[in-house]
Amino acid sequence: MLLLAWRNLWRNSRRSLLTLASIACGVAAIMFGQSLIKTIQYQLIEKATGVITGHIQIQDRRVKELKYPEKSMAGLAAIERVLASDPAIDAFEPRIAVTGLVSSTKDCSGVLIVGVDPRRDPRVTTMSTYLRQGSYLTGGPRELFMGDQLAGALGVRLGDKLVVMGQSLDGSMGADNYRIVGLYHTGSVTFDKSILYVTLASLQETLAMQGRANQFVIRLREPERLQEERERLERALQALPVKIATWREIDPELVGVQSYQNAILKIVLAIVFVIVALGILNTVFMSLFERVREFGVLKAIGARPGVLLRLVLTESCMLGVLGGAAGVAVGSALIRYYGEEGLPLPLGDTLAYFLPFETVLHLRFDWPTHREALVAVVVTSLLAALPPALRAARMKPAECLRHR
Amino acid sequence: MTEPLIQLKHVSKVYGAAGRGRGEAPGVTALEKLTIDFHAGEFTAIAGPSGSGKSTLLNLIGTIDAPTHGEIRFQDRRVSGLGEDELADFRLRQFGFVFQAYNLIPVLTAVENVEYPLVLQGVPRAERRARSLEALKWVGLEREGDRRPDLLSGGQQQRVAVARAIVHRPAVVLADEPTANLDSKTAAALLDMMLDLNKKHGITFLFSSHDPVVLSRARRVLHLRDGKLQDEAV
Repeated sequence: MLLLAWRNLWRNSRRSLLTLASIACGVAAIMFGQSLIKTIQYQLIEKATGVITGHIQIQDRRVKELKYPEKSMAGLAAIERVLASDPAIDAFEPRIAVTGLVSSTKDCSGVLIVGVDPRRDPRVTTMSTYLRQGSYLTGGPRELFMGDQLAGALGVRLGDKLVVMGQSLDGSMGADNYRIVGLYHTGSVTFDKSILYVTLASLQETLAMQGRANQFVIRLREPERLQEERERLERALQALPVKIATWREIDPELVGVQSYQNAILKIVLAIVFVIVALGILNTVFMSLFERVREFGVLKAIGARPGVLLRLVLTESCMLGVLGGAAGVAVGSALIRYYGEEGLPLPLGDTLAYFLPFETVLHLRFDWPTHREALVAVVVTSLLAALPPALRAARMKPAECLRHR
Repeated sequence: MTEPLIQLKHVSKVYGAAGRGRGEAPGVTALEKLTIDFHAGEFTAIAGPSGSGKSTLLNLIGTIDAPTHGEIRFQDRRVSGLGEDELADFRLRQFGFVFQAYNLIPVLTAVENVEYPLVLQGVPRAERRARSLEALKWVGLEREGDRRPDLLSGGQQQRVAVARAIVHRPAVVLADEPTANLDSKTAAALLDMMLDLNKKHGITFLFSSHDPVVLSRARRVLHLRDGKLQDEAV
């Protein structure tokens, strides 16, 4: 059966090669598309969790707005003890993030003020790596680390003083003078123009929030075990008045973008599968019509209908597997090449408005989805061959033998 | 007298008869109320001009087509009502087929073509290869086993077809105009070979032809005209 199917495949080698090429191109295009989307998603998530959100946050139980928690937590030491003993956590820090105002002698601007622990923050976020001028926060009193665009808009330079204002715990406004120790540049307008970093201790003082924070930001060793770790923390901290939120809950927009991209990918995949299926259908039908008499002979000498069904399906499956394998080889070569060389992505500039984003993508393999595509191509090749295979199986031997 | 191997009782075949509605053209009658017995070991020719129903009769006997009316029995067993799979298995065990246009599978070598019925029977590889080579030896083609059909002459291809028809030791070999595409010398050689197989190995041959030279070799000749049995010569 296999021998006959294999040789039948090469009866019309040009036609089979063209079909194989179309399947291979389809699979390579699918793999490339999957890799592109998954690399963008990976970078979006990496950047979003890496620069500001973290993988998991702990906030006060009463918080309604997860992105900008309006309630703060006391008793930080108890939380710290739990987090410090958790082996799944790579790094964590307590933080205060509040909206506020920053003003220079020339201008003022609405900003997100983030109070961080300068010693721990570089292990939790990547903000310190975007330093353009000066230094990152050292832990000194009332230091300020801000985006270069915001500094330009306010007309200030390194070493200048600014007034930072935010809402204190009692509802009144707290304000203090801060000195610019460093300027950063992420390439994201949102960050570079509207987020500034100060030391947690100074911000606690400014906002009369000593011993309090409104979020613990956690970086996991294995981000893919997000849900598992969330459940573990919920159990460990259930006695405290806190809630656990993953980046997926804090940043639903990002999840939306991810879902949107996945939907587009699925539509593109469906189109490619239809093209592959039509190519296979055409090849198998052509091959069937050329062999009607032969099927008649096989039936006459005792081949059951199921034998012919399996023969046609095996030929099609071979086309799918061979085309799929060639496609994986081509797709892998493309992904490997653009993984090393990088793929310039103009869309990156648009995305970079909201988040720090590399405009040259280094493509990555995403084997679970590549495997799905390969299986789908083989299944498609079988499904596409089913109508002609059933037709071959149902044909009457005498009618086949009379076929001209 | 032994029991007949194959019995046809009032068998008719009308093409285009099924689903015919009022006002439509009547079906074409290919065979009309044939009653014939065939015995094991026969070397019988079915003669008649083109369109007389020879191929249809062989197709009905070989169960690759079904009669419109009447009954066909094989070893006193009714075969008309069998399902597709049962019929395929029945043909695989009881019949060998030789067609006018050779009808070998072009992508298989001569020996692989001969082997195919044994593959369908699930015979182990070594045994089927040995039996196929033996069948090729019977038809004088033991040296041509590795050749594909397109590298064989018409006569050689038809002998491979005969080897394929006998390799699984069927009860009957049905040959539809087996010499029609061969020159007279090759045709005579093929007929001699078939006759030899009939005599030496007791294989029953039923074949159709309208060539008087071919018919002269048969031990029994049934003459068909317009789907009816005209006469019989022994």
